[in-house]
Parts: sequence; C-alpha cells; structure tokens
Amino acid sequence: MGTIIKNFIRFFIIIAVQVLILNKISLRWWSQPYGFPIFIPYIYPLFILLLPFEVPVAGLLVIGFITGLSIDAFMNTPGIHAFATVLLAYLRTNVLNALLPKHLSDYKAQAPSVKNMNWTPFLTYAAFLIAIHHTAYFVIELWSMQNVGYLILKIIASTITTLLLIISYVMLFTKQQSR
Amino acid sequence: MRNFILFIRRFFNLILFITLEIVCLVLIARTHAVQGVDLISSSNSMVGALYQKQNEVVYYFELKRMNDSLLNENKKLQERIVGQQQWERVKDTIVNRGFRASDTSVTLTYANFIYRTARVINNEVSNTDNYITINRGSADGIKKNMAVISGAGAVGKVVSVSKHFASVISVLSEKQPISAKLHDGTFGPVVWEIGKPDVLIMKDVSQEVKIRRGDAVMTTNFSFFPENILIGRVFKVELIKKNSMQRIYLHTAVNFRNLQYVYVVENTFLQEKMDLEEANK
Repeated sequence: MGTIIKNFIRFFIIIAVQVLILNKISLRWWSQPYGFPIFIPYIYPLFILLLPFEVPVAGLLVIGFITGLSIDAFMNTPGIHAFATVLLAYLRTNVLNALLPKHLSDYKAQAPSVKNMNWTPFLTYAAFLIAIHHTAYFVIELWSMQNVGYLILKIIASTITTLLLIISYVMLFTKQQSR
Repeated sequence: MRNFILFIRRFFNLILFITLEIVCLVLIARTHAVQGVDLISSSNSMVGALYQKQNEVVYYFELKRMNDSLLNENKKLQERIVGQQQWERVKDTIVNRGFRASDTSVTLTYANFIYRTARVINNEVSNTDNYITINRGSADGIKKNMAVISGAGAVGKVVSVSKHFASVISVLSEKQPISAKLHDGTFGPVVWEIGKPDVLIMKDVSQEVKIRRGDAVMTTNFSFFPENILIGRVFKVELIKKNSMQRIYLHTAVNFRNLQYVYVVENTFLQEKMDLEEANK
C-alpha cells in the first residue's frame, strides 16, 4: 500500500517539475555555434524507471501511456510523448533482466535503485532507456531526415542533460546506508 | 477458439504494446494537420487552469519589463493617432473641407477588426511546432483562426478554444507559414527555421527587389492577419545560386521568450472572404 501512494505522489511531483519548471527552460549547450539545437530536458521517464520490479508489463504499458498522455496535454503534442513512453515501458523489463544477476521475481518489494543495482548497472539501465525514449520522441517530433545531424545533436544533448538530472535526483533522494 | 485465447494470453503484453502504440500514432496523425488539437492540448480546461495558477506566480517577476513594453506600445499608438489626424486634414481641391475617416466615399473599409486583450499563460519556443496558451476562450468571443498579435508584431493564430482558454500556434512553427510583404509590396510566405526562436526565413524573393539590412517585413491582408503588422526585420540576405533567388533572414519582431500580453484580432469579414474564395475552387 505504501509503495502505491509513494508512486502516486512521485507521479504528480515529477509531472509538476517537468511541466511547471523544466518546460519553461529552453536549454542550449553552446549558445553561439550557429544552429546548435535548443531543447527541453525531459525528466518524466524517470517515473517509469523507478516503478517497483513487481509491476507486470501490461501495467507498465498502461502507466506509461497515461504518463505520456498527461505530458502531451501540457505540451500540445498529442501522442508523441505517449508513444515514446510506452516504448520505454515495454523495453524496461527486458533491459532489467539483462542487467540484473538474479531473476526479477527474486527482488521482493523493491524498485530499481542505486542501492540494489549499484551505480554502473543503474546508469546503463537509465541511459539506454532514456536514449531510446528521446530518439523515438525527437524522430517523431521532427519527422524528417533532412538534417540528420541536427536530429542526432538534439537527441544526444538532451539525453545527456536528462541523465545529469537523473543522477542528481538519485543522489538527492537515496538514503545513505549509515548505522 | 481455445488456441486463440491461449495465443492472446501468450502474447498479451505484445498485443497491448502494439495497440497502445497504434493509439498514439492515430493521435499523432490526427493532429498532424493543425485542426483538431482539441482534446489533448493546453486549451483543455484542467491543463489551462494549472497553467493559469503557475502564471499568477510568475506574473509578478515580469511586471517591470511589461510596463516598458506597454509604454512603448502607447507611444506607437499615439504616433498613429497623430498620423491619422494629419491624413484627415487633406484638403479637397475644389471645396475647402477636410475628409473624415468615416467618409465612405473616400475610405473603403476592407476589413473590420475587433481587438481583444489576453494574457499569455503558457509559452514554448523549443519544439518543432510551438504553441502558446492564452487566458481567453469561447466565453470571451475567441474563435478558431483568429489572428494573434502583440504590441511588437505578429504572434500566431488560434487553433483550438475551450470555454476559458485558447491554444495559439505561434509563428515559430513549421505548419504555419505566414503571408508577408516587403517594403515595395513584393509578397511571399515567411517560414520558421527550426531550432532558432528568433529567426524567420523568407524564401525565393526575386533578385530585382533591393533589400537592405533592417528593412521591415509586414503582414499582408491576404491572410488571417490584419495588414501591416510587423513580422520581423531583415538581418541577412543570401543569394541562392541555384535558382538565382534571394533568401532573406529575419529577426522576429516579437521576443517569444518573454511574451506576456497579446491581442486577439477578429476579422469580422474573414468568414465571408474565405467562403467566397472557397466557392471559386
């Protein structure tokens, strides 16, 4: 019961942070070099990444769809975020199975975190899924292969920014194992 | 039948995945045309209400800058009034009397515009198509396809309306080229260059037109915009060798990053004009 409420609250907080703060900040890694893309960091996939291990794939898909649609409503991009998030939710289980030493069902009442996965697997997990999410999103958003370089730059820049945000989230909200 | 059910159970996740993705794709395809952003968009009343709350907080930080822009705009309007008065005093050659602007034998009214003010409660500049949400909706008389301008220049067009909010697709959008003209009346579409929130391009202007840096590019009255609204100013002219046409780069007149107040302009003759043009096709 506690985890459900916790995740509910996390859902609202992450969406609020995404919509009310991050969407207002248009980032650009270098300001001058002509034509370097500006982008918004998308941190909301983190919510899907942090769902408990027990959630079945069907559940993940539905939750992903709802999350994506809520972001879509705020960003005026019906379907695009939902598409990318459902894709991420579908791949999540496979990626976790590939990265974890034990089977998923062995982790009782736990969620992916740095504590039970260690830094490297957790970051690989996050980086891989975020990269897929961003690729899907930006490919659909731009929907043209006219300037592939621009597309790739945009994907890479915003993936890195999102990962930095995720790392800071993890560092802030992981309880230290002391005593 | 049993096999079928087994099949569904076996591949339930995959089927659900594909169904959801198809739903998403349908949503994307449906809104690829500008129409029909209705359901999932920021003019949706719940989303609008949240943005309104957020704007109420951010609003105060912007007051100083807004004062300045209002002052500038007042100045511009004053100048226009002065211009109007001078024009009215043009003398008739035979009888020494002034014309009035309402004198129908002299002035032809092509369009009748109603201005409504609105506050921007959400704004974006970094997407492929950028939308602005304003705090006026159908209850205030806003309808689809109305032009949106700010004190500085052209902003965009209303695409979807709810009771108290409306979504505006801004000039910074691939989908929304606008009809523009240069100082000598040459007209052509102005499009946005993706990724740069302050650069617009006017393509294929013939070489005979002499353009200098700083020239104003205005709206025409062919489109939904009222005539002579500033779109931007030229900062670079490029000669394309391939078809010996000029390509003009403009800085937008409006600073989309700190847009605060806009005017929604209703052209009362727009529907009639559109119907007439439709009938010719």
